[in-house]
Amino acid sequence: MQNLTTRTFASIKYLLLSAYLVAVIFPMVWVLYTSAKSTQEIYKNPLGLPAFITSPGSKSFGTLIQNYRAAWYGSHFSSYFFNSVKVVSISLALILLLGSMAAYVLARFEFKGKGLIYVLFMSGLLIPMQLILIPLFFQFSAIGESLTALLAPSARALGLGELTISLHDTHFGLILIYVAASLPFTVFVLTSFFKSLPGELREAAMLDGAGEYRTFFSVMMPIGKPGLVTVAIFNFLGLWNEYLFGLVFLNSDRLKTLPLGLASISMQAQYKSDFGLLFAGLVISMAPSLIVYLFLQEKLTKGITVGALKG
Amino acid sequence: MKQRNQTMFILSFLGPPFLIYALFVLVPTVNAFRYSLTKWDGLSAPAFVGLHNFATFVSSRSDFIPAIKHNLFLTFVPGVFILTLALTFANLIHHKVKGARLFRVAFFFPNIISAVAVALLWLLIYSPTKVGMLNHFRSAFLHQNQPVAFTQSSTLLWALVPMIVWTATGFYMVLFLAAMENIPESYYEAARLDGASPWNLFWSVTIPLMWEVLTTGVVFLVIGGLKFFDAIWIMENGRPKTPTHTLSTLMYQKVFEQYEIGQGTSIAVLLFILVLIATLISQRLMRREALEY
Repeated sequence: MQNLTTRTFASIKYLLLSAYLVAVIFPMVWVLYTSAKSTQEIYKNPLGLPAFITSPGSKSFGTLIQNYRAAWYGSHFSSYFFNSVKVVSISLALILLLGSMAAYVLARFEFKGKGLIYVLFMSGLLIPMQLILIPLFFQFSAIGESLTALLAPSARALGLGELTISLHDTHFGLILIYVAASLPFTVFVLTSFFKSLPGELREAAMLDGAGEYRTFFSVMMPIGKPGLVTVAIFNFLGLWNEYLFGLVFLNSDRLKTLPLGLASISMQAQYKSDFGLLFAGLVISMAPSLIVYLFLQEKLTKGITVGALKG
Repeated sequence: MKQRNQTMFILSFLGPPFLIYALFVLVPTVNAFRYSLTKWDGLSAPAFVGLHNFATFVSSRSDFIPAIKHNLFLTFVPGVFILTLALTFANLIHHKVKGARLFRVAFFFPNIISAVAVALLWLLIYSPTKVGMLNHFRSAFLHQNQPVAFTQSSTLLWALVPMIVWTATGFYMVLFLAAMENIPESYYEAARLDGASPWNLFWSVTIPLMWEVLTTGVVFLVIGGLKFFDAIWIMENGRPKTPTHTLSTLMYQKVFEQYEIGQGTSIAVLLFILVLIATLISQRLMRREALEY
């Protein structure tokens, strides 16, 4: 009797988990194989497998190529993709460099005002992005205007013509915001990480004649790698998927990142005539995060728990 | 000399990051509070109106009140499902199943895709055109051949519930599972010796000992629900109306389409205050519970 209930319980357990597994995975698999179908094929049966799988051949393979070609070139996904790569990689490099500099000093040195600076950084963890969005919009205009007023006369004098500086609708402006907004979390994680490293390391390096700067760049940074990797994955996923700031600060189609490009294509009615393209675009946008996740999932899930359990 | 070198080092290392952070996060935060006390169209000089913007919230039955109701709906309706599923799955996996790693990795998957891609994916699932998977199921199995536009404004909020549950459950499961794995096995053994059933173990050992993480999870849910923007924006083609507005979409529309900067920013300030309250309440709850054991 005991055995029977245990076994029933076990099968219910697997039934539940497997059912949810299908519910989670199936929509993504559906997007993946539908991206190999032509719009007519999709209309005939939205769930059917593509000819690419059922009757492999050069013609069905051509449909797949055509969808991705239409998305990549025709709908500018190549441009969206490389814009995302550019914005996210520059932001990440700056976040890691500036974040670890601040964290190292906050973790390892004693000085006046340290507590206040740390508290100011941490208060950023509570600030929703929506709060700074609107003031930043006007601040960007003001910064652009004053820089133009400051530099335009000398540019004219140098014969460079009319100079107008703007942070609006530039990757540079978006990167500045991404870096600033990512610092609180980065400093939070890295400060506790640098605190956990043995203090003798710095002293030993200093005794060997390395200055503070050398000690940081050639001793502390390499040792800090595990912490940096965790922070990098978190910031990568957050920035790669970011939409609201991009929506407000980038207008030109040629500057748009992947989420913005995907959103604008889905909002245009024209895609309705080419669903194959839309599915291919969806795959292009989802693939990088999925790949990063598959390779680094252990670190990511560990990072979440560290963040949540400590925070 | 050495002292001065160290001061230089600290300044050069802390200065740049702090300046960028102060200029692009702290300054705008302070400005947000200033803006929220004004009536301003973004061009002419702002007029100080005190707390007037906040006072209008109470009476704005056509935008603000429905919007905050939608935020609460999008927090608590999916939240109940998410917490139930995440706790159930975490508990099942915690008590050793084969393939635990597969479930853990797969369930977390939807959480790392951009909200825009998730919204588009579900727009396609719900689509009333021939692409729509759900309408295809309805006609194939239920012989309901009239397609339903699930994502039209009147039903959009309900249509978002499965999407949010699908996206978030894995995250909370991973969070809860980590907390459960921190509980010493000896607690369970002691309880089993006292004749506790699995049901008892869950309610009197697991839940009390992971209370902190559970509260953290609820705060994450509330904050996520309060900030909700992307999916509504995509599914309403950038033009949400009264039946579908959330605080964030309303804020965007007020500022960038109706040029009511003061009014729009006051919504953002309110959002911040609500996030703060949610966090403080959870801190209180955690402290009280933490004292008990």
